[in-house]
This record gives sequence, C-alpha cells and structure tokens, in this order.
Amino acid sequence: MSDTSAPRWIDPIACHYPEYGTREVETNPHLSHQVTWIETTRFRPKMHLVGRLRYYYKWPGHGGGLWWRTRYWPTRRRVLNIRGEYTPKTKRREKTIVDKRPIWWTLAFLAFLLLPFVVPAASYNTVMSAAAVFAIYTAINLCWMLIVGTAGIFSLASYAVVGAAAYGATYLAIHLGLPWWALPLIGSLIGLGFGVMIALPAMRLDGFYYALLTLGVVELCRVYVVQSREFGSATGGLYGAPSYLPASLGQSAKLMVSYYIAILVMTLALFTYRFIDGKRLGRLLRMAPEKKEAFAQACGVDFIRARIMVFLLSSTALGFIGGFYATHFGGASPNLFSFDTLLLSLAMLVIGGIGRSEGAVAGTVIVVFIDRVLIDLGPLRYMLIGAIMLGVVLFLKGGLFGIKQQFRTWRNKKKSERRATRAEKGGEMLPEEATEIEDKDQVFFRRFDKMQRDFLKRLVTDAVVDEHRTRPLGQHSEALERLLIYFRRQGQVDKYAVMVLEEFKAYRIVALSGHRGTAPRVVEDKNYPSPEEAYHALFLRRVQDLLES
Amino acid sequence: MNWSFVLSNAITLACIYGTLAIGISVTWSSLGLVNMAYGFIFALSGYGAWLASVNISTNPAIVMAAGILTGGAGGLIVCLIAFIPIHDKPSFPLRALIATLAISLVGNQALLWYFGPRAKSLPRLFGNWNADILGVIVTSDKLGASISAIVLLTAILLWMRSSRRGLEIRAMMMNPHAASIVGIGVRRTGFYVMALTGSLAGLAAVLLAQTYYVAPFSGITPMIKGLSIALVGGLGSVPGAIIGAAVLGVNEALTSTLLGGQYVLITQFLLIILVLLVRPRGIAGILDKAREA
Repeated sequence: MSDTSAPRWIDPIACHYPEYGTREVETNPHLSHQVTWIETTRFRPKMHLVGRLRYYYKWPGHGGGLWWRTRYWPTRRRVLNIRGEYTPKTKRREKTIVDKRPIWWTLAFLAFLLLPFVVPAASYNTVMSAAAVFAIYTAINLCWMLIVGTAGIFSLASYAVVGAAAYGATYLAIHLGLPWWALPLIGSLIGLGFGVMIALPAMRLDGFYYALLTLGVVELCRVYVVQSREFGSATGGLYGAPSYLPASLGQSAKLMVSYYIAILVMTLALFTYRFIDGKRLGRLLRMAPEKKEAFAQACGVDFIRARIMVFLLSSTALGFIGGFYATHFGGASPNLFSFDTLLLSLAMLVIGGIGRSEGAVAGTVIVVFIDRVLIDLGPLRYMLIGAIMLGVVLFLKGGLFGIKQQFRTWRNKKKSERRATRAEKGGEMLPEEATEIEDKDQVFFRRFDKMQRDFLKRLVTDAVVDEHRTRPLGQHSEALERLLIYFRRQGQVDKYAVMVLEEFKAYRIVALSGHRGTAPRVVEDKNYPSPEEAYHALFLRRVQDLLES
Repeated sequence: MNWSFVLSNAITLACIYGTLAIGISVTWSSLGLVNMAYGFIFALSGYGAWLASVNISTNPAIVMAAGILTGGAGGLIVCLIAFIPIHDKPSFPLRALIATLAISLVGNQALLWYFGPRAKSLPRLFGNWNADILGVIVTSDKLGASISAIVLLTAILLWMRSSRRGLEIRAMMMNPHAASIVGIGVRRTGFYVMALTGSLAGLAAVLLAQTYYVAPFSGITPMIKGLSIALVGGLGSVPGAIIGAAVLGVNEALTSTLLGGQYVLITQFLLIILVLLVRPRGIAGILDKAREA
C-alpha cells in the first residue's frame, strides 16, 4: 500500500475464491507502514573508511607440528609465538603468527650484516663510517632509553657520561700507556662513578628540575673540557687513544672491521636493554613512573632501589660505550657534550618512539643517515631533522613505532562513536538500563514498540477518526485497521473496556485491572446510550493515550 | 682584578640573566611549558635588532623596540607551534619540551643558514661614557643595561600586578585548571604569556649584545644560565628568580675573583645542586607553592 492519490484496498481473503476475481474497494489515503523502518534505518552520520578487524595471515598446517617447537634453551620461551587452532567454520587446522617482531629483528640484523657488501663503491667510505657511528649511537641511545623510557626519568646527562668516560679513558691511556681492551673497562668504572653522581639528585628532584639540572651538567662538562689544557683545549679534543685495529689492515678493511665491531657493541646494548627492560627491574620501574611513586610504594615496590639500580647499570654500560668510543675514534672531542649532539640524539629517540628498542634503532638510522650521508645539504639537514622531530612530537603519541597503536586507538574511537549513534537512534531503553535488564528480548521489543508508536501517531487523522465514528465495527481502511490492531494487542493491565450497565440503554467505559479478583476501575462518569457510541468514545481515549505517549 | 669591576659586571649579568629567568619561570608556571626555544628567540631578536639598526636607523629606542618586538613575534611562533596544537593532549609537558627543543634546532640552523656563521655587532645603545658611582667607575653599557632591564622588568611586573591580563596570567600561574573553569581562556592567555616572555628574551638579547655579539648560537648559553637561575629560584616564582639571579651573580663574582674564571660554571652547578638537594623546588619552594610538574 503506498501513498498514492487513489489508494485501493484489496480484500486479503479474495484469493481463497479465485473464481470470483479480486475484490477491491477505494480507501482513504494513508502513510505506508514502511516509512518508519526506512527512516529509522537510514544511516545519517558521516563515516570514514575504517576497517574493522585486525588482519592476520592464516598459515595452513597440521596441528602436530605445533607442539614441537624450538625454544630458547634454559627457558620455555618460544622463538616465534604461533597460535594454532581449528577453525569452527572449515574444521581445518590453521596457524597464526601472533607476534611477528622476531622476524623483523632477524631480517634487520641480516641487513646490517650484509650492508658492507651492497654499499656502492663510490660512497663506501661515507656510508661505512656513518654506519659505524650509527651503531655506536644506537648503543648509547638504548642505554639512555632505559632511563628515559623504562624508568621515565627525563635525564639528559647520558652523553655527559659517555663523554666523561671517553675523556677519562683516553687520558689514562695516554698517561699510563694502557692497551686498547682496557679502555672500555676503565670507561665502565668512570661511568659507574658518574652514575652515582647523577643518581643522587634524581632521588630528590623530579620532572623538569632533573632534566634541566642534567642539561646544566652537560654544559658544565663542555665548558670544562673546552677550557682545560690537559683535556686538549688547544687541539679541539683529546686524541691518542690506542685503536683496536691492527695497523696492517687496509683502509676499506679497517672500515669493515670497525663496522662489524660497532655492530657487535650495538647487539650487546640490545641484549642489555632486553634483559633490563623486559625483566624484573623493568617491570618494577614501569610500575613506578613519575607521580605514581606513592602508589608503587603502597604496592610494595621499592622504586628508589630500582631507580638507583637502573642508573648504575645504564651508566656503567654508557661508560663502556664511552671507552669503546675512545678506542674507535682514537680519542674524544668536546662535540660529545655539545647542545647539538644532545638535540640530535633526542631526535633519534623521539622519532623512533620513546620506550621501544626498535624505535631507538630506527630513529638512529634516520637521523644518522640525514646527518652523515646527506652532507651536501649543509645546515638544511639539521632543519630537516628538526622538522621531522617536530612533526613526530606534534602528531604522534609514541613515535614512528607507535603509529600502529595510535591508529588502532583512533579506529576504536570511531567504532564506538558509530555504535553510540546507533544506540541513540531507535532505542527506547537507555544503554545503562539495557545492561541491567535480564530479558534482552525486552530491549528489542521496546525499540520496536517505539518505532511502531511513532508510525501510528502519524496515521491518526480526522478522516480516520470520522471513519471510526461512522463504522466502529466493520470494514475499516488500512490506517484504522492498523491502529485498532495495535490497541487490541496491548496488555490487560489498564486496558479500556466497555461495561454494559443496561442492555441497549446504558454503557460506560472502564479500565481492566489485569488481575483476577480485582474489579475494573471506572474511568469516567458518563453513560453512553448505544454500544457504538461507547466504542467510539473508547477509541478516542486510546488515540489520546497514544498521542500523549 | 678589582672588586668594583667584578661586582658591577656581576650585577649587570644578573639583571640580564634574571630577565631571562623570569621569562622561563613565568612560561613554565602559567602554561606548563618549559620553553627550550628560548635561546632561539634570544638569537632571533638579536638579529631583528641588528636588521633594524642596519636598515632603519641606529636610534637606540628603535633598535631596542625592534629587538623586543621580534622577541614577542618569536614567542608567538613558539606558542603557535608548540603550545596551541598539543596543550590539551596527553603527556603535554614532555611533548612540549621536545617540540621546543626541535624548534630551537630548526630555528638556530635557519639563522645559521640565512645569516651565515659570522657574528654581528649592534651599535652602542647607551653611548660611550663612564659614570662614577661612590668611587666605582661604571661603563655606560653596563649601567644602561642594568637600568633598562630593571625599569622594564618593574614595568612588566607592575602590569602583571595591576592589569586585567596580568590578573589572568597570575590566575593561570596559581591554578591553571581553576582558571579555565572561571572563564580564563587557556589559549588566549598562552598568546599573552608567550608574547610577553618572548619580548623579555628580546630585551635581554639587545642588552647582552652590548657586551657580546649576535650569532646564530648565541642564545644557548644565556638560556642555560636563565634556566639554572629559574631552577635555583624555583620554577614559577618571580621573587625566587630575582633572588636566584642575585645569588648566582654574587657566586660568579666571588668565584672569578677568588678562584678564577674557568671555575665559575663548576661552583655555579655545585651551588645549584646543593640548593636543589636541600630544597627540591628551589628557593621559592619556601615562598609559595609551585606548579606540579
């Protein structure tokens, strides 16, 4: 039935008597019953093209193989976290690699190992020395990340530790004639001492007070080194530390060996990071970030001890790297303490993402590449690095490696926004109420009922009321029929009924109680002389109730 | 080395660095932003003043106004980049710190790229004469720098005490959340504060350029000195910054006379560490409540 100018009513039971043909009558125009559904289900909010599920490639495979897995020897830890299950749909076995990061790490490590063989000969010197610098900086950044990311203390003194160790080791090596392998060990000792010094104020100060203080320490070291004669103020650095490279090697062989040794140091730093960040100490530290110390302490975490531990460990490691730096570059330069070095290394951490080892590696790759390989750009390359850093800080929450997580959070936000608009649209029952109610059928029934009432309200017209007045009992138009069916279907509680006081003389309207043994209540103080009039008055009452609801 | 020379030097430097420290301190306490791009604003306004002196005139008032205005503009740039987009985002203080560091990196390199590494010198703003105050010979640039720093700082502090905008800024310093509840716009106040502190940096740049030169990286050391004074004084407290400037100035004077110039930074940082170990919120930790980090 549609809303045409001359709608017709087709007798639904005419099909039982096909020999007589269909019986049709003209009827009054009315609204199609489908408009409510169409209007309600029409989708209004603007939608973005956002996917819904995480995508995992499903590997085929028999389940038996899943139980025989390679594990790291003393632990039960697996090389790859593979989940296997039978799909309910196809009844086949399938495997999912839940955590693909070990694969990426292995590929990256292979790439680092193969790098010297794929570098074009024209830029061999530049790229290989840049790569060695990259490996050393990554090692430093990883140790720094332990303090900045894991412990959440914004210390800027890491390069001061490295520089102090490099200077101290070079100085001792020159004056005592130490072999090259003693330099990292001496450096570790100096780093340990420096670590104690910078760990002490960290116990008292918090937040920016500590950051600015460590910035001051770096500046102090720089000024001291630049002015002090025994630390080479005249030559622009202290040089003369023994190198670990045998003198007999050629130029390119030297570059390659020093690159591999630097990669070895970086791998050691990665393991240090893994075994501090991923084990008990890292857990304790991440439990007690800034401003949550009281909570951690109440939970029984001795965060002061944990912080001192991480300061000492990472400073020792930084000192080791400083000693290695001295033997690698044959000395130390005040450049280690400069504000620019600090800024660039902070850019490395920030671009990759603070608190992730892969972030430190990737950020260092990016920054060292721009800084050391694109030398032709001049000061522009620092502006490029700064612009990348600025963009990352302004738009990303956790650096480049946090993009995935940030995108998922955003997508979930969009999803829940969409869900909220959907619930707000049809629901008669509020979401809080819907979670409370036992019978979930009620939720949907009430939603349906609201839609239906909204529709029926639009059917009530003067024509319909007039039609019911003239013919209360029979042959109704579709609109009236729908209204009456809805009224009849209501529950017995407070349902209107006609009570016969005296047949053909007096009728009145009552409301049923709905309970056996409880008499109906009288609704109004008025008698109707005929049943038709009573029917109609009752109809008007129900229509009024409908319109008021 | 005579005492009066050292003392007058220390007072001048304390005035200039105190200006920077007050700028840093006010920014931190009202916006929660550690402005590490302060050195960049400093260098930028030095160049602004230099451009004005070359292109417009060497009139002291014009040069100084150009420096101050460039500083204010630099402050607005920093505000637009590092405060407005992220001030309501999670972990704002850390991100703002990194963002201002990035601005400082980009800005300093841009200055180097545009103006070249050669240092520029500003014209002498306060003439070339000596004054004799109680038997102490003071050169004109020192006296002029101290007096103009003190006068302008007093003017700004009076403005902050008495005007409507100053009231807004002080309300933000006391409690930013409550200030925003009573209808003080955070972003609008951010613009005022950054323009104000930027112009303070501009003033300091013009005054310091009387003794040193204008160079792309000339802002780093003054910024670190200003930061350390603000730290000693307690971030967010104006009287604390003044006391801190006085303490560090006296320390600098004493150290350079008794021990020698190269030990200044060492004694300064030992002093800072000592003060902070006793009072983690600086000297003003006693005077008023500092903003939570």
